[in-house]
Amino acid sequence: MTEPTVDRSELFLSFNRRKMIALLGIVIVVGAIGLAILLTPSGPAWRTVSRASLIPVAIAIIVAVQMSLRGRRWAPDSPEVRMAMQDEWWKTNMDRASRIALVVVLLSQYPLAWLFGLIMSDLPQPRPSFAMAFATITLGAVTQLGLFLYFDRES
Amino acid sequence: MGVRNTMKVERAKRDLTQAHLAAMAGVTRRSINAIEAGRMVPSVLLALKIARALGISVEEIFSLDDALEHRL
Repeated sequence: MTEPTVDRSELFLSFNRRKMIALLGIVIVVGAIGLAILLTPSGPAWRTVSRASLIPVAIAIIVAVQMSLRGRRWAPDSPEVRMAMQDEWWKTNMDRASRIALVVVLLSQYPLAWLFGLIMSDLPQPRPSFAMAFATITLGAVTQLGLFLYFDRES
Repeated sequence: MGVRNTMKVERAKRDLTQAHLAAMAGVTRRSINAIEAGRMVPSVLLALKIARALGISVEEIFSLDDALEHRL
């Protein structure tokens, strides 16, 4: 009686891991594009970046959708999903990743302020602030997702 | 991590796979694997569930490791 739930929870975990890898890829791509747009003031370079930005975003979305479709539909209240979501190893890894990501985000504020203050000192005011916010969000999300995937790897 | 366990031995005695024990305790196989490898100390609730699944007491599975024992 327990075997199907075990198999399905393993399937769900590997599906969930693939989804998180796709999400990490999307966050990196969107973060890089957003920063490139913010760092490049309006002009030919900005127009090129904004036009080219659609290609990797489209690729990332297509890949994510395909990966999702390859998995089956998971009911949130199904036993295997509940087992995986309440799993202590999963929670432990997510907590560890969140704690480290918080520290990384806090420690990066001062260097980021210096970096964006120097790089974008000639730009109008809202732009450097937005760039720093964007960099902080991207850094936090990438750190958390990346560390979770690292901690959660099969050893 | 401060706690040692005999889970692998007890599981082997009962001819249970990690997946079976995980299903009996209501967790994933990865949790069982992490506990056996000493990478995770389970909560009291999970320790009790594992003990119940194996049919023995928590103390028979989990104990303080030597370094921690000497400090107490």
